[in-house]
Amino acid sequence: MELNIELTPRTDIPNWLIYLTPVFTVVAALFVSGIALIALGVNPLQAYNTMFIQTVTTPFGITNTLEKGVPLIFAGLAVYLPLKAKLWNIGAEGQLVVGAIVGTAIGLQVSLPIYALLPLMIVAGGAAGAAWIAIPALLRAKYGINEIITTLLFVFVAQSLLNYVVRGPLRASGANFPQSESLPAAATLPGIPRLGDVPLGLLLAIALVVVTYGIINYTRLGYEITFIGANDSAAEYAGMSKLKVYLIVLMAGGAMAGFAGVSELSGVQGRLRASFDPGYGFTAVPIALLGRNGAFKVMLAALLFAVIFVGGSSIETVFGVPSAITSVIEALIILFLITAEFFKQYRIDVSIDGSYSTSASGSPEGDL
Amino acid sequence: MDQDTFVRMKDITKTFPGVVANDDVSMSLRRGEIHGLLGENGAGKSTLMKILYGLYSADKGEIWFDGERLQMESPQDAIDTGIGMVHQHFKLIPRLSVSKNIVLGKREPATVFTRTEGSEEGVLSTLTNTRLMQWLASRFTLGLDEPRQKIQQLSDDYGFDLDVTAPVWELGVGERQRVEILKALYRDVELLILDEPTAVLTPTQADRLFETLRRLADKGLTVIIITHKLDELKQVTDRVTVLRDGKNIGTVETNEQTPGDLAHMMVGRDVLFDIDKDDIESGKTVLNLSALHVENDRGIEAVSGVDMSIKAGEIVGLAGVSGNGQKELAESLVGVRGTTAGSIRVTSKDVTNEPCRTFIDNGVSFVPEDRHQNGCAATLSAMHNAVMKRYRDSAFGERFQLNYEAMEAYAETLVEEFDVRGINDVQEVTAGELSGGNLQKLILAREMLREPKLLVANQPTRGVDVGAIEFIRERLLKQRKSGTGILLISEDLNEIFDLSDRILVIYEGEIVHETTPESADRQRISLEMNGGEQAQPLASVAADGGWSDI
Repeated sequence: MELNIELTPRTDIPNWLIYLTPVFTVVAALFVSGIALIALGVNPLQAYNTMFIQTVTTPFGITNTLEKGVPLIFAGLAVYLPLKAKLWNIGAEGQLVVGAIVGTAIGLQVSLPIYALLPLMIVAGGAAGAAWIAIPALLRAKYGINEIITTLLFVFVAQSLLNYVVRGPLRASGANFPQSESLPAAATLPGIPRLGDVPLGLLLAIALVVVTYGIINYTRLGYEITFIGANDSAAEYAGMSKLKVYLIVLMAGGAMAGFAGVSELSGVQGRLRASFDPGYGFTAVPIALLGRNGAFKVMLAALLFAVIFVGGSSIETVFGVPSAITSVIEALIILFLITAEFFKQYRIDVSIDGSYSTSASGSPEGDL
Repeated sequence: MDQDTFVRMKDITKTFPGVVANDDVSMSLRRGEIHGLLGENGAGKSTLMKILYGLYSADKGEIWFDGERLQMESPQDAIDTGIGMVHQHFKLIPRLSVSKNIVLGKREPATVFTRTEGSEEGVLSTLTNTRLMQWLASRFTLGLDEPRQKIQQLSDDYGFDLDVTAPVWELGVGERQRVEILKALYRDVELLILDEPTAVLTPTQADRLFETLRRLADKGLTVIIITHKLDELKQVTDRVTVLRDGKNIGTVETNEQTPGDLAHMMVGRDVLFDIDKDDIESGKTVLNLSALHVENDRGIEAVSGVDMSIKAGEIVGLAGVSGNGQKELAESLVGVRGTTAGSIRVTSKDVTNEPCRTFIDNGVSFVPEDRHQNGCAATLSAMHNAVMKRYRDSAFGERFQLNYEAMEAYAETLVEEFDVRGINDVQEVTAGELSGGNLQKLILAREMLREPKLLVANQPTRGVDVGAIEFIRERLLKQRKSGTGILLISEDLNEIFDLSDRILVIYEGEIVHETTPESADRQRISLEMNGGEQAQPLASVAADGGWSDI
C-alpha cells in the first residue's frame, strides 16, 4: 500500500479553521497527555476533571487562577507587543526578574505610605524592565542585531543578578536561606475587595490589556507597529521610523514584564527568593503566540495557562503524579499550536494507492 | 490532432474559491515553435502555465507531452519531464551566488568526487570511486567548478553579461531575470515557459533574447511566452493563443494577424494605442540634483555625478538598462537611500540626506520598481496600504488617534477613482490578493491622489496588462497636466517616447545622453543605453547625425 501526501499552500484560510485551531490545539494536546496519564495509572478524564473543571468552578481554584494569571497577562503582553512589529522578546523572564529585584529593593528601603510606595514600586519595576531590554532594543533598532539572542542572553544575566542580590545586598539578616526580608505592609499589593486573595495587580493587568488594544487598533503608533510588522521595507518608504517603533515596542514590552515581576513579588510572594518565579517570562512566549491576534486573546491565553498551572498542581496533590506532567501538557499545547499553524497554511491531501481523496481534507482532525 | 503536436493540454479546468481561473481550456504546441500566450491580467494565463509546470493540479483535464500522458505532482516532475519555467516573480535565493542558484536542485558533486575514466590509479581515486562515497558526495558536496564553467559558457553564448559568482541580492531585476532564464537553459529543457520575459529588458536585450529563443527553437526547443506586448508577439512568435476570462478565445498564426486584431481578441473591444499628449507650459523647478553621488548596497558607487532638473508639469523619461544606477538614483530621490556627495533640492528646499519622511512631507511620491517588496504590505488590507503615505494627515484623526472610518472612506475613493478591481471590502481584501495590475493601480492611486509636487515612477507599467498600461499612462499624463513633475524610469522605450517631454539616458550611473522625443533617434538611444561608442565624446554627437546607419 502506498501513501501519498500532497501539500498545497492555501490561497485563503477558511474561517472555521481559524476559530477551530486553538480549540483543536488544546484538545489534541490533552489527548496525547492522556496517554502519559494512563501510563501513570491515572484516569485522564478524572485528572482533567480535577485539573480543569474543579479549577474553574471552585472559589479556591478561581482565586488561584487569577493570581497566577496576573503575571502571565503582563508577561504575555511583554512578548505580544513587540511581536506585533515582528520582534521577538524572548527575554521577558529577565525583565521580569529585574523588575522584581528593583521593586523589592524599593519596597524594603523606602518608607512611604502605601498609596505612594506601591505606585513607586510599580513604576520603578517597569522602568527597570524597560532598562533591561534597552540595550538589546538599541542594538536591534540601530544595527539590526538579532533581538532573539540578545534578549535571551540578558535573562541569564538577570538570573545571576537575582542570585547575587538574595545572597548579598538584599539578604535578610540572620536568614538561613537566600531570600530577602518580607515586604512591609505598605509595600504589599492588597487583594481586590470581595475577591479574596486576588491581588489588585489584576486590575492593572486588565487596564494594560485595554490600553494595548487601544494603541494597536486606534492610534497612529499602532498603525505603524502593524505596518512595520507586516513589511518593514515598505514601512521605510512610507516614512516610518523603524528606530522609534522598535525602541517603543521593545521598551514598553520590557516595562510590562517589569510590572509582572513587581506584582508577583508584592501581591503574591511577599519576599524575594532565588527561585521566586516559575518561568512566567518564558511561558509568555506561547501565550503571545496563542493570542497574537489581539490583546484580549493574550489575556485569555494567559488565563488558560494559569488554569494549567493551578490545575497541574491540583492533580499533583490529588493523584500524586509528578509535577512534570504539567510541563508535558504545556509543551504539547505549544507543539500542537505550531503544527496547527502549518495546517492553516497548507492544505493536505492524503491518498492511498494513488486514489486521491477529493474531500476537503485540509482539516487537521482528519490528518492527525 | 496535428501530426507534429508535441504538447497538448486538453479540457483543463481549474477553480479557486469564487473564481474559475481556467474554463475548459485546450491548447496544443508544436515542436520547435515559439508560442505566445496572450491575455489580460486575471485571464488565467499564469494558472494554465502553472498547471503545465506542475505547480497547480488541474481539477479536470489532461496533459500530453511527447505522446505520453503526464501525471505531474510537482515542478520536480515537470523539470524531470523537460519542462522549465521562468516566473514573473523570480524564485531565487538572494544570499546565494548566481551559479549556486542555478545548480540548486541539480547539483554536481565536488570535483574530487567526479569519476574520471582511465585516470591514474591511487588510493584516493579508489576511495572516491566507491559507491558509498559517490552517494555521499552527490548529497553532501557541491561542485561548482564545472557547472560554473558551463553557466559562464551559456551566459556568454546568449550575451547575458552576468558575473556568476555574485550573490543574487546584489543584482538588479533585469539581471535576476537573466539568471532565471539561465537556470532553465542549464537544465536542458525541451519546453521553456517564460512568464513576461521582456518586461525587464531593454529593446536591444529583448531583441537579443528573441534571437536566442529563435536559435533554441530552431534546435527543437518549444517556447511559450506569456506576454502583454503585442509588438513582441508579432516579432517573435509563430502562433498565439489568446485567453479571456479563463477561456480559450482561439489560437492563430501570428503573421496572419495585426496587433489590433490580437488586442481585440484579448480585451474584447478596440484598444487605443495612441496617447494624446497636450502641450503644457512647464512651471517652476520641482527637483534639482547637482553632482549627485550614490552608492549601492555593496558600497560601490552606483550614481556618479548626476545633474538633473525637473519642472512642474514635465515628464522626464530616464531610459537605461536595469542595473545602471536607476534603482539607487530613485531611492535617493525619495529619501530611503543616503547620498555620498551632491545635493537634492525639492522645490526650493534642500533635502539632501534628510529622512524619507521629509521627502514625503515636501510632496515627493514614489512608485517603486518592486511593488511587493517596497510598495505595499501584502498581508495588510487595501485600506492599510491606501493610507500608507497619508496616515499622518490630520484628516485621519487628531494627535495620536487614527480614524479608521475616514481611512476606509479614503481607501474606497482610491479604489473607485483608479478602478481597482477585486476589492469588495477595503478592510478585508489584502494587497497581496490583488493581481499585479490592480495592485499597481492602488499604489499609483495612493501616490497620485495626494497631489505630489514630484512623482518618481520606477517601471510603473512593468508586468501589468495592456488595459492597465493604457490606464496608467493616461493617469501619468493627467498628473502632468495638474502640475506634478514626473521622473519616469522605464526600460520600455515606447513608453518613454510616448510620455516624456525630455529623455535622459543613464549608463553606469551617469547621464550619457539627453534629448527630446521629437528629435530623438531610437537606435542612438539604444546604443547609449548599452554604453555607446566609448571613443565618441558626448558633445560631438549632440546633434543628431548619421548615427542611424551604425
